[in-house]
Amino acid sequence: MRHYLQLLFFGFLVTSQFALGASTQSSDDTHEYFLSNGLKLIIREDHRAPTVAHMVWYRAGSMDEFNGTTGVAHVLEHMMFKGTDKIKAGEFSRLVAAEGGRENAFTSRDYTAFFQQVEKSKLNKVMELEADRMVNLNFDDAEFTKEIQVVMEERRLRTEDNPDSLLNESLMATAFMSSPYRHPVIGWMNDLINMKASDARQWYQHWYAPNNATVVISGDVDPEQIHRLVEKYYGGIQAHALPVRKPQLEPEQKGVKQVHVKAPADGAQLVMAWKVPHLQPDDINNDEPYALELLAAVLDGYDNARLNRELVKQERLADNVDAQYDMISRGPALFIVGADLAKGKTVAQAEAGIRKALAEVANKGVLDSELKRIQTRLLSNQVYKRDSIFGQAMEIGGFEMAGFSWKDLDTVLERMQKITPVQVQAVAKKYLLDTTLTIAILDPQARQSTKAEAQK
Amino acid sequence: MKSYYKPLILIALIALGLTSSVQAALPIEQLDSFHGAKGYLVQTKTLPMLDIEISIDAGSRYDPSTKSGLASLTGGLLNKGVRSSKGTLTEDQIADQVADLGADLSVGVTGERALIRIRCLSRSDIRDRAVGLARQILSNPSYEPTVINREKQRISAGLLEAETKPDFVLDRRFRKAIYGDYPLGNAMTVKSIAGLTASELKQFHQQFYRSDRVIVSMVGDVNRAEAQEIVQTLVNDLPQSGPVIPPLPELLRSPIESIADREVQIPFDSQQAHIAMGMTAIARNNPDYFPLMVGNYALGGGGFVSRLMNEVREKRGLAYSVFSYFVPGQDNGIFQAGLQTKNDQASMALDVMTENIAQFIAKGPTQSELDAAKANLVNGFPLRIDNNRKLLDNVSSIAWNGLPLNTLDTWTEQVNAVTRDQIETAFQKYLAMDRMKIVVLGAKQ
Repeated sequence: MRHYLQLLFFGFLVTSQFALGASTQSSDDTHEYFLSNGLKLIIREDHRAPTVAHMVWYRAGSMDEFNGTTGVAHVLEHMMFKGTDKIKAGEFSRLVAAEGGRENAFTSRDYTAFFQQVEKSKLNKVMELEADRMVNLNFDDAEFTKEIQVVMEERRLRTEDNPDSLLNESLMATAFMSSPYRHPVIGWMNDLINMKASDARQWYQHWYAPNNATVVISGDVDPEQIHRLVEKYYGGIQAHALPVRKPQLEPEQKGVKQVHVKAPADGAQLVMAWKVPHLQPDDINNDEPYALELLAAVLDGYDNARLNRELVKQERLADNVDAQYDMISRGPALFIVGADLAKGKTVAQAEAGIRKALAEVANKGVLDSELKRIQTRLLSNQVYKRDSIFGQAMEIGGFEMAGFSWKDLDTVLERMQKITPVQVQAVAKKYLLDTTLTIAILDPQARQSTKAEAQK
Repeated sequence: MKSYYKPLILIALIALGLTSSVQAALPIEQLDSFHGAKGYLVQTKTLPMLDIEISIDAGSRYDPSTKSGLASLTGGLLNKGVRSSKGTLTEDQIADQVADLGADLSVGVTGERALIRIRCLSRSDIRDRAVGLARQILSNPSYEPTVINREKQRISAGLLEAETKPDFVLDRRFRKAIYGDYPLGNAMTVKSIAGLTASELKQFHQQFYRSDRVIVSMVGDVNRAEAQEIVQTLVNDLPQSGPVIPPLPELLRSPIESIADREVQIPFDSQQAHIAMGMTAIARNNPDYFPLMVGNYALGGGGFVSRLMNEVREKRGLAYSVFSYFVPGQDNGIFQAGLQTKNDQASMALDVMTENIAQFIAKGPTQSELDAAKANLVNGFPLRIDNNRKLLDNVSSIAWNGLPLNTLDTWTEQVNAVTRDQIETAFQKYLAMDRMKIVVLGAKQ
């Protein structure tokens, strides 16, 4: 499986955890507070073990960037470890480590988030550190000069030497002409080369404020006590006006777009991406996004789902296939089907195979049993999700950043359970059309280096 | 998911964790052996779910030298169809049944063992059906030729693709350098995969998939009697004995060699050079495990605060990721350090890494580095066991490596007891710069 949805981690990379939306939870366990400075606090009680996840989510990601300084949201994420008036560069990580904590941060198109996981008695200390860098970040130019080199190494590692990432980058830049979703989260290399410390500082001054932040805490905590703690550390930080977020809406697509990427690889890849609606916070009863989520699951939600069965096992057109759709996002959504072509198969054959599988759904619909299987899975997942304190906080934060409330998680799950085969068929018919389609093809190139040596 | 792009194995390695309050309440229970199979259980009642891991002593280290991939394919095809006197199930039927149960079932093979993992709700009807399925795939895989051929094609395609990737090429060459003629040095190839036949897979299954080579680890909402029954069900259809299994060759300590013999350069036209350095080290049950593990936290295992990260990334901006780790198992595992950097910086980065590892072997950590390592490992212990998945990793590792069942109870104590002298002595005993293999891929000369 390739990662089309780009989420950059300072330390690690995950696929979207929100792909199938929905984790329900009795509201008794979850508590919401607002501080007078606009900071939102959500606490999920889970007393299974004496540990806590502490996260700060800023509603500022690469979709808030402009051309010329792409990647600055992620660069600032790195610089957040470079010291404040009180804490010198590198000290943040050392202090968290001394508490036995695990920490990291990640940037996506929609948000930037920072987290620590600690034994519960250590929460105080890490919260003090996190609150401090919300307002007192103070890095010097020398630190920036070294760290931008690290970010460029990160881009070389994740993108320049990675054909999957190059393909994904071209797909997004082709599908979107105007939406800032066209830019990679890590930024274009040229923008990184020309990035200045002042760009990162300005980003910090614009977006890092309590009124643009949500603190999510999950684990073995007493909510009232934690509320007081959050007031103590974050409560004194002043709100300030945020920059105006201009809409930057993508103009309507008028026909098929296609992009070819030549990169070192052995096999060809084909990705087909359609512009589709996503769930809107003010229209949470719109069934179409749920039906699209279930369509993706019917196509690729379990081992014997349609795409794998038909394209990999029966017709042998592909060695791997996947379908992806994320209904929870701030920006425009894509419904994506990708395939690693089997040896000897052409892109045209793979495309025809994918189109045939999708046409089957559009023309003949899906079986009750297929949909039931997915819906059963959604329910058992509600139990499995409770195993991870960290995962619960991730899910809440992701929902909140897209403009939803954690309270919507229940609604989402309920509506997913009520979607019918007819509704799944209807969205396949309505949205998977050529007028909104972008096709990206990886055209594999041999590397210059000698294969013989590599095979020794 | 990768932490600083370190292999996941690192996380599994450090997963042998921690202290008191939690696992005092959650003891590891050893179940009665059944047909030679061992069972271990941690009861956690707060969620109505169950995690099971079945370890079979049937890893890639048993691959004959010309049959690399045999163990992987044998294990990987377990859930791709079963046939027995009681009936047949196609791979599609197995997948549908797992999905209908809302369960997860995965199979995989490492160097040491084959693994089946199951996650399901603990409701008895669901649990029984999931365990029943696992019993069938463990005991009666059908190895249909058409499925084998397809999977061989997919694996070959994956290998050819991987050969275009710098990290894969580096890793394979590095493992060959470290393991030499030990079976884990022989990675599967398109050719070795192509040669595997259905009868070889069946024979390997008969030979290695025996109840006395199985360990079942469980964490979740079942009681002891239920867990005992699960173990019995899972292995009941397996033979208890079979053809003789030849002993594994000894994994020899990496020899002292000149730099010319230890260092390999691989031309590769990537933007970054990838560098790996390392040698054979220790098994998990080695008494020096704790000094090496605590010491390595300070050297290159401690993420942003390790000495390597500080020198290579924080001070010089040379790499996004730099790390070191030990991979101890039943076998003597390896010590490995590595980084990736822009091609024209490769020799500088290698120098920085080499100097720091050499200095660490010579002098060990400073007192403040040792204190910091202990503080993190001890204070962070609860994070190693705070959910069922992590507990299962710990239970399974303890069982597989034959460690005392109270390993989690004494873990922080053992970390706290480590001294600077012990670290220095242990690093000098097991590591040596003139034994380190070095593989550099992609640097411009």
